[in-house]
Amino acid sequence: MAERFELPAELNIYSALETRDALLAWVAEQTAQGRELLEISARDVSEVDGSGLQLLAALANGDLPWHLVEASAPFADACRTIGLTQWLDSRTLKTGASQ
Amino acid sequence: MSMDADLAFIAQAMPAFISEAAEQIEAIEILLLELEEQPDNRELLDSLFRCAHTVKGSAGIFGLNRVVEFTHHVETLLDKMREGELALTPDISTLLLQCNDQIKFLVDTAADESADTPDQKDLRADLVIQLRALTEGAQVAAPQAAPAAPAAKPGTEAVWSISARFGVETFRNGMDPLSIARYLGGMGEVVSVRCGSDGVPPLVNLNPESCYLSFRMQLKTKASREDIEGAFSFVMDDCELDVVAPETADQKLTRALEDMPGTPRLGDMLVSVGALTQDKLTQVLSTQESSRGMPAVAKAKIGDLLESQAGVAPEVVAAALGKQQKLRESAPSEERYIRVQADRLDAVINLLGELVIAGAGATLLARETHGEALIEANLHMNGLIEEIRNGTLGLRMVPVGETFSRFRRVVRDTASSLGKEVNFEIVGGDAELDKSMVEKIADPLMHLVRNSLDHGLETAQERLAAGKPAAGKLILSARHETGAILIRIEDDGRGINRERVLQRAWNRGLVEQGVVPPDDDIHMLIFEPGFSTAEQVTNLSGRGVGMDVVRRNIEALRGSIRLNSNPGKGLQVDIRLPLTLAIIDGFMVGVGASKFVLPLEAVVEVIESGGNHVRVDERGRHCLELRGAVLPVVRLRTLYSVESVLPERVSVVVVHSPRGKYGIEVEVLLGQNQTVIKPLGRLFKTLRGISGSSILGNGEVALILDVVSLGELITGADLQATAV
Repeated sequence: MAERFELPAELNIYSALETRDALLAWVAEQTAQGRELLEISARDVSEVDGSGLQLLAALANGDLPWHLVEASAPFADACRTIGLTQWLDSRTLKTGASQ
Repeated sequence: MSMDADLAFIAQAMPAFISEAAEQIEAIEILLLELEEQPDNRELLDSLFRCAHTVKGSAGIFGLNRVVEFTHHVETLLDKMREGELALTPDISTLLLQCNDQIKFLVDTAADESADTPDQKDLRADLVIQLRALTEGAQVAAPQAAPAAPAAKPGTEAVWSISARFGVETFRNGMDPLSIARYLGGMGEVVSVRCGSDGVPPLVNLNPESCYLSFRMQLKTKASREDIEGAFSFVMDDCELDVVAPETADQKLTRALEDMPGTPRLGDMLVSVGALTQDKLTQVLSTQESSRGMPAVAKAKIGDLLESQAGVAPEVVAAALGKQQKLRESAPSEERYIRVQADRLDAVINLLGELVIAGAGATLLARETHGEALIEANLHMNGLIEEIRNGTLGLRMVPVGETFSRFRRVVRDTASSLGKEVNFEIVGGDAELDKSMVEKIADPLMHLVRNSLDHGLETAQERLAAGKPAAGKLILSARHETGAILIRIEDDGRGINRERVLQRAWNRGLVEQGVVPPDDDIHMLIFEPGFSTAEQVTNLSGRGVGMDVVRRNIEALRGSIRLNSNPGKGLQVDIRLPLTLAIIDGFMVGVGASKFVLPLEAVVEVIESGGNHVRVDERGRHCLELRGAVLPVVRLRTLYSVESVLPERVSVVVVHSPRGKYGIEVEVLLGQNQTVIKPLGRLFKTLRGISGSSILGNGEVALILDVVSLGELITGADLQATAV
């Protein structure tokens, strides 16, 4: 599996269940490989809602640390709107064109 | 499987929920009644809201939808009151009390849907209509009802604090916190926003379609509260929303002080919330230091100095002082509690009783061996047993005030239904009593309180005509008194009509026609079985349960009841109860081969007296001179016909009882011991002066003397009167 997880373009309630399962499978895989820091990319995210962000919050409440390596403008905008900016603070983060 | 496990868990946790909800419901009632007296007390209102909210929240966990739905309406009304849109009127208070009864009903019948009869449903629907009329009408009435609310004027820009916790169903209902946040952002400038995601379960447990998000936002906007709340209108039903009005700088400081965790020093408190710099504080403290040694009058108070020298606003200082005071008061209540099942505690206390007896047995055996070390070890062990005993019995002690507070409602409702004005006072509610006693005393007390209201207190017109203030007074008080608790119900009503009681007693054959017992005994006649009837003869005539049941219940607790009537001025009912039902510190005495135990608290001193030289009457009564005063003495040997050879010298144990001091003449003093009280068998229930028995270490039985009734037995005027 890929070293980083690509969040789907539609990160919302319609895909939430699917994304969760994919994310869980990927996390299990990464854990098995002994990776200590997970890399998540929101490069492709074009639509996002609260349930999509909640998936990442759930990941953050788990055992393994993760960070965001890339974020699209809509994703970063959504994070700022609801006050989840801590994910955007990472220095390595590549952000898409600002809104 | 997991469904079954959930159901099993819920079934298991349900009793705990019901008992906790019952506590909250009781608290709601007390708070409402307190709020009636202090309608401006914001804290009471906040606590009230919290209680209702807790009931709703925990009922939600258990899926008790009827409770949740109904309580939600109550909560909405309380919220309107918190926002200053509605003030508490007597009507609203009555409505809320009725609603609380309904919540209680719903919680009590949580497990039984069939108990929810059509009548209850109608009643509930009616209450909801009334609640909604108030909450929906409140918006219209808002402007004149909300002078105190620090709401921003519409049109001016202000910073609002918005905090929202979304319900689990939010996503499924097609709503999204993100779009609400975005919508709010469009109303003005978002100063700060923070998403609360701590409640989100880890991914593996997450149901992605359930919502666990919340956020707090500081929004600078010209919009009104209604506009802001409007953003939440579609999620309002299951969203906890708190929109706090903009504050002035001083209000902000005041609130910061309120929210502070306990830091007791005034200056430090002010520094940490930013009302004062550390430098200023140091300066003020040195000024205060220099005034030390001056006379107290000239000594500057730190609060005054902070105001005058450091320029801290007086209201901020006042808030800090208030907080300090509150911390001091609330410190003990912040202790943590563990819920323990009462029967587990009872099992421990029963075992403890056995341990006390076994300990006494071991001590006895140790003495017989004359082994110093063994005796010493046993003494030490007995000391520890005594400490454990006191500690364990202390666990069962609860303040009687909780029970008393329940009466506020009874008094309020009874008085208003009778059209009487009553000032109800509770004194000494923190006096402690065994939990099981508190439960058992509640009903008799309730009965006595009702009686006082119903028949003791007159109507306003009657009172004015009698030269009394229009509002009657009813005082319920409790205090400790020589190893017992004294509960007193006192009113300033008309008292007992002595002649009518006597007449009725004659008619009913309770007293021989023409015989006039002493006043005290006449009053006690109302407690005789067969005296209470539906017909109202005295101010204490019963309805439903008779007064004889009241007395029986109190006596079953080894308590006693006494009346002190002052015709035209009022009635005082004294109930004396032992503090605990299980174990007491006893003082053992011997008469012949028999052993008796006196409660140690009642013993004043022991004196010596000449035995067979003193003449006694048929009940063993005689008198002694003790330091110039006459001391009535009872000789147990004669009173209970104990066979023994009267020794040359005997001991008189001086005890105090509510009727004064008296002496009990015994032959041997056997010293102090821990006494486990065992109830007397039915056969001996009528035995006067004895309250129970106890098993001694060697298996012998000792009788426990009841100092109060023994005192009445020997100071009572004559046999005929006491025999009634």
